[in-house]
Amino acid sequence: MERIEPFSEGFVLALAPEFVLIVGLFTLMIVPNMGDAKFRLPLTQVRIPWLLGGKRRNLDSDPRLPGLLATVFFTISFGLAAASFVSGMTRTQIVTPSGTIMLQIDEFSRMFELIFFGALALASAASVNRLPATARSDRSLNGLYNNRRQVDFYILLITTGLGMAVVALAQDLFMLFIGLELASFSTYVLVSFMKESKAGTEAGMKYFIVGSVASGVGLYGLSLLYLWSGSLQFTDLSAAFAENGMEPLPLIALGMLLVGFGFKVSAAPFHFAAPDAYAGAIAPVAGVLATASKAMGVLGLLRILLTIASPEATDGSAVWLVGLGVLSAITMTWGNLAALGSTNPKRMLAYSSVAHAGYMLAAITAIGALNWEEGHIDMSNDAALVVVTALIFHLTVLVCFKLGAFLVLSLLESEKGGHTLESLGGLAKRDPFLAVAMFIFMMSLAGVPPLSGFVSKLLVIMGIVKAALLDVTVNSELVFGDIHWVWFLALLMIINSAISVFYYLRVGLVMYFHDPEEGREGSLPKGTPVRFAIIACLITTVYFGVGAGQLIALCESAANALIGAW
Amino acid sequence: MTTDWISIPLVALPLVSSIAILAFVAYASPAARDRMGPSVRMATLIFSLLMLVLTTAMFLGSNFIEGTKDWASLSFGSFNYDFRYVWIESLGIHWSVGMDALSFPMVWLTTFLLPVTIVATWNEKNAAIYFPLVLMMGGALIGVFVALDLFMFYVFWELTLIPMFFLILKWGGYDRKYASQKFFIYTFAASVIMLLGLVTVYFLQPENLSYAGAWTGRTFDIPTLTAHAQSANAGGAWFLGESLQKILFVMLMIGFLVKLPSVPFHTWLPDAHVQAPTGGSMLLAGVMLKMGAYGMFRLPLAFFPHAAEHFQFWLMAFGMVSLVWGAVVCLGQTNLKKMVAYSSVSHMGVILIGIATMQPLGWAAALFMMFAHGIISPMLFAVCGAFKHHYHSMEIGSMRGMAKHSPWLATSMMFGWMASLGLPLLAGFVAELMMFLALWHFLSAEGWSVLWMVGPALVLALTAAYYLWSMQRTIFEGGDETQPPESLNGQPVPDIGDAEKVAMLILAAFTILFGIMPWIALDMMNGWTVAFFETLLVPILGGA
Repeated sequence: MERIEPFSEGFVLALAPEFVLIVGLFTLMIVPNMGDAKFRLPLTQVRIPWLLGGKRRNLDSDPRLPGLLATVFFTISFGLAAASFVSGMTRTQIVTPSGTIMLQIDEFSRMFELIFFGALALASAASVNRLPATARSDRSLNGLYNNRRQVDFYILLITTGLGMAVVALAQDLFMLFIGLELASFSTYVLVSFMKESKAGTEAGMKYFIVGSVASGVGLYGLSLLYLWSGSLQFTDLSAAFAENGMEPLPLIALGMLLVGFGFKVSAAPFHFAAPDAYAGAIAPVAGVLATASKAMGVLGLLRILLTIASPEATDGSAVWLVGLGVLSAITMTWGNLAALGSTNPKRMLAYSSVAHAGYMLAAITAIGALNWEEGHIDMSNDAALVVVTALIFHLTVLVCFKLGAFLVLSLLESEKGGHTLESLGGLAKRDPFLAVAMFIFMMSLAGVPPLSGFVSKLLVIMGIVKAALLDVTVNSELVFGDIHWVWFLALLMIINSAISVFYYLRVGLVMYFHDPEEGREGSLPKGTPVRFAIIACLITTVYFGVGAGQLIALCESAANALIGAW
Repeated sequence: MTTDWISIPLVALPLVSSIAILAFVAYASPAARDRMGPSVRMATLIFSLLMLVLTTAMFLGSNFIEGTKDWASLSFGSFNYDFRYVWIESLGIHWSVGMDALSFPMVWLTTFLLPVTIVATWNEKNAAIYFPLVLMMGGALIGVFVALDLFMFYVFWELTLIPMFFLILKWGGYDRKYASQKFFIYTFAASVIMLLGLVTVYFLQPENLSYAGAWTGRTFDIPTLTAHAQSANAGGAWFLGESLQKILFVMLMIGFLVKLPSVPFHTWLPDAHVQAPTGGSMLLAGVMLKMGAYGMFRLPLAFFPHAAEHFQFWLMAFGMVSLVWGAVVCLGQTNLKKMVAYSSVSHMGVILIGIATMQPLGWAAALFMMFAHGIISPMLFAVCGAFKHHYHSMEIGSMRGMAKHSPWLATSMMFGWMASLGLPLLAGFVAELMMFLALWHFLSAEGWSVLWMVGPALVLALTAAYYLWSMQRTIFEGGDETQPPESLNGQPVPDIGDAEKVAMLILAAFTILFGIMPWIALDMMNGWTVAFFETLLVPILGGA
C-alpha cells in the first residue's frame, strides 16, 4: 500500500481520472464562451486576442459541442481508470500530513469508477441531441441562453461524476458524505433540468425533498457515530465496532446511515420518489439514476455494512441481518408488483430498478448470514467474495442493459414519446434495430440466457445460495431444515424474476405487435451519438453474457480489495 | 476424439447463420426483404440438410465418422464426440458437448424435422425472417440435447424460448399475443425454479471434483456430478441427504414437468399450439416437449434416484392423469389443432408413466415414445396447418367429405390420425405396446393394484373414439355432395401443395419405417436404458 500526501509526487497521477474531469469542468466553462474578442493594450493600437467573448465562431457556438466534450472527458477518465487496472494496480492511499486517510485507490474503487464514468459517458453522449438547442445561425439572446443551458447540463454531469468518484475513493465518512452530497445535488438539478416540462420540475422537487431528508438523516447518523467513537475514519470505526459494536448508539447511527444510502439504491420504503424522478427526468438522466447513482448507493451500503460494521465484528451473525432481509424481501416484491401495473415505461423501469435493489439487498443480507466463528472464517470469506463479486458484476452490467433501455426511450422522447407504453408501438416496423436492441435489453433485465443479465442474476443467486449452504456443507449430515433462511430470499428472488418477465415481455409485445400511434408512423430521429451509445450497450450486454469470464475476474479482484480490508 | 463434430456444425452453424441472416435482413427494406425470401429459405434448407447428413452419418457409425463408438453398446457415462472448452473458468463452466444414446435420437430427430418443417411450411409469409427463426430454434434445441454442462444446458434451455416466442408472436393465430406471453412466462417461471435447484446442487457438491471452477471449487459438469451422485447414493445413502434430495428433486421436476407438460401444468400448451404457426407447432410438439422428458432422465433421475423412487407414486399419478385427462378433453374439442394439442398431452402422459415405472423396459418405451411422437405429431400439426392454410378454418365440423375434394389432405390426415392412435406397424404402436408391457410388468412385480391398468385401457378406446369421430366428420360424412367449409365463401376447394405433399410423404415414410423396423432406434435406446439402470440404479436400489 503506497501512501501519498496531497500534492506531493505522484498525487496527480494517482488521481488522474478525477483530474481529467476537473480539467473537463473548466474546459466546458471556457470553450463555449470563446470568440474573437481582442484586448487592446492601453495607450497602444496593439490588440491581443483575448478569445473569451466577442463574436463566436461556428465550432464553439455549436450546441452539440458541450455534450461531445463531456463525452470525450468521461471517456478519457474511463480509459485512465481502466488503464490503471491493466497496468497492474498499485493500491494507493491519500493521507493528510496528520495521518488521516482521506482516499484510497484500489481495485474496488477503480471498478466503481469504471461503472460511474462508463454510465456517465454513455448518458452524456445520449443527451447531445436531447436538450433544446438553437441552430447556430441564430445569434439571438434566446439562442445564446439555450446553448448556455447545454453547458450547465454537462457541468452538472461532470460534478455528478466527481462526487461519485469521491464516494468510491473515500476512506473517511466525512469524505464519503461530501462526495455523496456533490453527486446528489447535481442529480437533483439534472432531474428537473427540463424546466419546460411540469413533470420534470415536480420530479426534481420531490426528488430533492425526499433526497435531502434522507441525506439529513444519514448525516445525523454520521454525527452520532462521531460522538460515539471520536473519529470518522473507516479504520477507526471498524476497530471500534469490533470492540463494542453492540451498543445502542452506534446501532442507531448505523440505521440512520442506512436510510441515507437506502434512498440512493431506492430500497423500499425509501423508494417513493424514484418512479416520479425517473419519469420526470429526461431518459439519459433517469438512466444515470438507475445505474450510476444506484451503484453509488450500493457502494455506500457495502462500505457501511462490510467495512465499518463488518459482520466479523458483530460476532457470528450480523446485527443488521434480519432487518435487511425483510427489507430486501419487501423491496423486490413491491418493486415487481408495482412494475406490473405501470404503463409508463420509465416508471416501469424505475420499479424494476427497485426490484433489482431488492435482489442486491438480498445478496448483502447473505453476507450477514455468514458464520464468522473460529474455523469458519476462510469459508465465510470465500462466500462473501462470491457475493460481493456478484454485486459488482450486477452493477456493471446494469449499466449496459438498463441504461441501454433508457437510451432507447430517450430516442423516443425526442419525438415526445416514451411516456406511454403505446408510444413504443410498432417500433419493430419503424426501426427494427431499435426494437431488437430494446428487446435484448428487456430480456437481459428479465435474466434470459445467454445475456449478461442472466449471468448477473445467476451470480447473485449463487452468492446467496453459497452463503446459505455454508453451514450445511460443513456438517456431513445434510438436512433441509439446516439451510439458512437466506436461501428463501433466493427463492423469493427467483419467483420475483418470474413475475418480472411479464412486464418485460409486454414491452416486446407492444413493439412487435401494436401498430404505431397516430403521428408516429415515420422513422425515428437520427441521433447518431445516442445510437452509438445504444450499440455500445448492446454489444456489452451480449458480450458480458457470453464471455462473462473476464468481467468476473475483474469484479473478483475488486471484491478482493474490499474483503481484504477486513 | 480429435474433431469436434458437434459444436460447430450442429450448434454454432444454425445459431450463427440464422442470427447473421436475421441481422442482415433487418436492415433491408420491406421490398428487398420479400425478394430475399426464397434465397433465405433455400439457404436454411441447405444448412438443415447438411446437419441431417451429418447426424445420419453419425448414426451409421464408425464407417462414416472415424472414432464413433457403437451407439447401442455405449457404456453409461461415456459419450460420442465429446468435446470441452473452458467457458468461465472461475465458476467451473465449460462448453462441453457430447452425445449418448439418450440424446442422439433427439438430435437426429431435430435435424430430421428441420428440413421437413421448412418444406412443409414452404410458402410461409415473411420468409426471410421465418426460416432463420426455425433454423435458430433447431440450433437451440440441439444445444439442449448435446450440453453436458449444467450452465450450458440452462442457457440453451431458455434460448429455445426466444425463437419460439417470435414464431408464435409473428406468425400465430388471432390470439397469438396472449398465447406467446403465456408460453414464455409459464415455462420461464418453471425453469427459474429449476435453476435455483441446480445452483443449490452446485454448492452442495463437495469441493474439487473434476472440472471444478478455480474460484468456487465446484463444477457444473453433468457427467462428473452424475458419477459423484452415483457413488454418494450407493448403499442406501442419500446424495445430499434425504430431505434435501427430495426438495431438489421436486424443484428440478417442476421445470421438466411444465415443459413436458404434465396435467396440472399443461395449460400453456393448447394455447401455444393453437396459436402457433404450423412450423412452430411442428418443432414445439416434435422436439421441444421432449426436452422435458430428456431433462428428467439427464438430471433428476440420474442425480436423485432415491427421491425418484420416493415420488414414484406421484410420477405415476401425474402420468396417468395426463394420459386420461388429455384424452377426455380431446373428445370435447371442436378445434382440430386443439384436439391434436391435447392428444400430445395424453401422449406425454405415456412418457411420464414409462419413466415412473423405474424399469429399463418402461424407460425404453418412454424414449421410443419421445422419438415416435416426434415424428408423428409434426405430421398431425402439418395436417392441421394445411387445413388452416387452405380452408381458413380449424373447426372439425365445418366441412364434410374431404376425401372427395382433397384426397391428399384426407389421406395424410387419416394416416396421421391412425399413427397417433397406435395402429400396428406404425411407430406409435411400438411405443404404446412397450409401455403396456412395462406397466403390466411393473404392476405385477411391485404388487401395485391392477386398477392402474384401467386408465391406459380406457384411453385406448378414447383415443380411437376422438380420432375416428373427427375423421368421420371431416373426411367421410357428406358423401358425394361434400360440404366445403363456409370460410371459403364458395370458392373451389384446393388440395395441399407439392411441398406439403413431400413433407407428409417423408413423415409418413419414417412413421412406417420405425413401425416396421423399430430396432433401428430402439436398439440404442434399450442399450442406454439398460446401462443407465445397471450402472446407476442397481447398486443403489439393490436391484428391482
